[in-house]
Amino acid sequence: MLTLSVRCQRVSCQLFASSSTTPLAQTRSYATQPKKGQIVKQASQGFKGKKNTPSGQMEHGKKDKKMMAFQPLPVSQLPHPLFESDRPDTLALQSFHPEMLTRVVESQALKFPHNESDPFRIFGLPRNILVEFRLLSKPCSVIRSVTIDAINKLDAASDKNSKESRVVLTGPQGCGKSYLLLQALQYCNARDWLVLYIPRATNLVNSTTAYTYDMRTRTYSQPIFAYQTLQRFLKVNALRLEQLRTQTEIEIERRPPVPPGTPLVELINIGLKDQGHAPTVLGAVLEEIGKQTIFPVLLAVDDFQALYCKSHYRDQHFSAIKSYHLSMPRLLLEYASGQKSFARGAVFGAISMGNTTFPLPLELREALSLEHDRPYGPYVKRQPELVEYARGLERLAVPGSLSVPEAASVFEVWMKDRAVPSKPNDELFLTKYSEASGNARAFVWKGLLSSMSA
Amino acid sequence: MNVLRRPAGLSKFRFYSTQTTRPFVPPASLNHFDFRQRQREKPRPTSPAFYTARPEFYDQLSSLESALQHAKTALTSCHLLPLPQFAREALPPRVNAWVDKRELGLKLRSTLTTSRYRRVVLVLNELETYRAIAEKAGIAELQEGIRGITELFERADAATMLARGKAKPVKFDEYGRSYTLGKRKTSSARVWIVPVQQPPADKSTASQSIPAATETDTALTALLDPISSSKSNEPVSVSQILVNNTPLSAYFPIPADRARVIHPIKLAGLLGAYNIFAIVRGGGTSGQSGAVAHGIAKGLAAHEPAVATILRKAKLLRRDPRMVERKKPGLAKARKRYAWVKR
Repeated sequence: MLTLSVRCQRVSCQLFASSSTTPLAQTRSYATQPKKGQIVKQASQGFKGKKNTPSGQMEHGKKDKKMMAFQPLPVSQLPHPLFESDRPDTLALQSFHPEMLTRVVESQALKFPHNESDPFRIFGLPRNILVEFRLLSKPCSVIRSVTIDAINKLDAASDKNSKESRVVLTGPQGCGKSYLLLQALQYCNARDWLVLYIPRATNLVNSTTAYTYDMRTRTYSQPIFAYQTLQRFLKVNALRLEQLRTQTEIEIERRPPVPPGTPLVELINIGLKDQGHAPTVLGAVLEEIGKQTIFPVLLAVDDFQALYCKSHYRDQHFSAIKSYHLSMPRLLLEYASGQKSFARGAVFGAISMGNTTFPLPLELREALSLEHDRPYGPYVKRQPELVEYARGLERLAVPGSLSVPEAASVFEVWMKDRAVPSKPNDELFLTKYSEASGNARAFVWKGLLSSMSA
Repeated sequence: MNVLRRPAGLSKFRFYSTQTTRPFVPPASLNHFDFRQRQREKPRPTSPAFYTARPEFYDQLSSLESALQHAKTALTSCHLLPLPQFAREALPPRVNAWVDKRELGLKLRSTLTTSRYRRVVLVLNELETYRAIAEKAGIAELQEGIRGITELFERADAATMLARGKAKPVKFDEYGRSYTLGKRKTSSARVWIVPVQQPPADKSTASQSIPAATETDTALTALLDPISSSKSNEPVSVSQILVNNTPLSAYFPIPADRARVIHPIKLAGLLGAYNIFAIVRGGGTSGQSGAVAHGIAKGLAAHEPAVATILRKAKLLRRDPRMVERKKPGLAKARKRYAWVKR
């Protein structure tokens, strides 16, 4: 069965030798995003279904609304005096500057810089942080003691091989792991590192894009993801990549090899021109930047535990494809386990405890010496491949509760942005802090923003 | 000689008296009688109650009544009896817990009927009243004397009987922790509350003498810009709440339950003053949160009595009597009726 599909692919390649289209990708109609304005037709349900139903159009509208959720109206569309649009902005925050990040600045809120190649804008953000940044007037975060610890680790890692600095941020739900990863990312970007950020690693394994089986590597490659990653990587690190060149000859399928000394930007453009080449090009690019020692590299992955879970992809036998058989997760796992490394840099991952479709697997729990909530005795099966991929990971525990000064800064940010519906006094602060037991997400979302009190 | 052996009573016998009822016996004929023997045959009864139905009972009763009489004379001599109306009203109302009929019968060594029991209790009550008057007046000797009698007839568990219906005072252990119980629906919570230990005051800052100029400066800045200048280095104490050994936010995910638990502390204004540890069993989330809140309210009222009135007004000290109503026959649920069908 497998060889048949491969033969078909080869035949199709011979027929369309000069075409730049992707080889026969196993596309599924539900996985493609409808273009704007395109009406999605509902499949006819036997003799009862009608074509061009209005519900089909409504479905598209609903989806559009879903994507545009939590998008605040621009100030120009709020002329009514009730909105107080002309009121001066009371949220005066200092900018997040790497030089000022010392213990002195602890429990202070700093706003993230906003520019064309901002990693947040280009790479994207985890969903809940995206919503928060849309609600706030400007993206900001509070510097915690654990932030300074992480930054010290990054400073130490900038001269060492990434094999020695593979850190995973752990902690209970809502304690601030993703935010800490964002702060590390911004710090490295400001310090002129090459940064690659995967905000939602669950998207790599939850079967949202098509895959193709690659005979050469005998893995399932994800060309769309690789293409997107290359695009974003290039955009964020454009200035730095212009200074780098390839050091070895790189072979790419169906194409003459790329000679050494080629600018990396050109190599990336090869991958951007043809989506089919993107996975190979991405692997090659990461290898090349791993060899150079001019810029340290940060590989930051949120939802890190999803890389160690079984994916939602199915092969032709309808069995679940393991995550390390998919190209993108495999690449990230290789760097996370130290099998591949950057000459200078670090790999940072943040796990997500609240995801029930991709829960924290046993192999990763053991590697990070975390508490168990399920049977973990010697009779519980562990996958040896995942154990190997999780070997040597370092844990950075994010404290479960905010300290009082940190919580006070968080409170001030939301209060000054006029997002708290209740009267913002110290009683409210202490009440909500006690209710949340110091947990950051519970404090903000279930405490400050969800309740009204006189 | 025989003349000397005449009984004593007969010596006063007047032979010429016309009011005698006895037949005349010439004294000479009584000479051969030995009256001493006769005296020995029938001894005099020891108590005046000998010829009653229950001599022991009447003996005891008479001794009690004589004690009462002595107490009365003593108080009268101190001009405390008769007590004017306002003074009687000023005395604390006494609820007495005497032994029951059977016990009293054992003490008095005779089985008692209800009327006899009531008679004894009446005397005891009077004694107790006089004791109260003596106590109030400060006559310690008399009060102790009466107490010595009345405590013989008091129940062993008099204290608990008198405290029935009243709230037991909450006890604190050697670490200053209060232990209270809270209940709601079918949940019950055991709550321990301990004051937050304030960190020892920073000696270095205390020893620094602040010159007058900077004081006014800081005061001025505080006036003009209160928010930014209020960032003092004083640590803010925070209440830690553990329910079944998990933090409050982890045990109660619903914000309403968390707010219910915090509500008594918030009303009392004691946020950050006390740490709370609770073990709760039974029921569901809202029942458990209500039980913990009830326990916390009682504990806080014990720690700070001034706060008890506020909590009582907010009905937080009251055990919520609402329980799940039973299903009735003919109804689908407690109140829900089946669908009405016309035919």
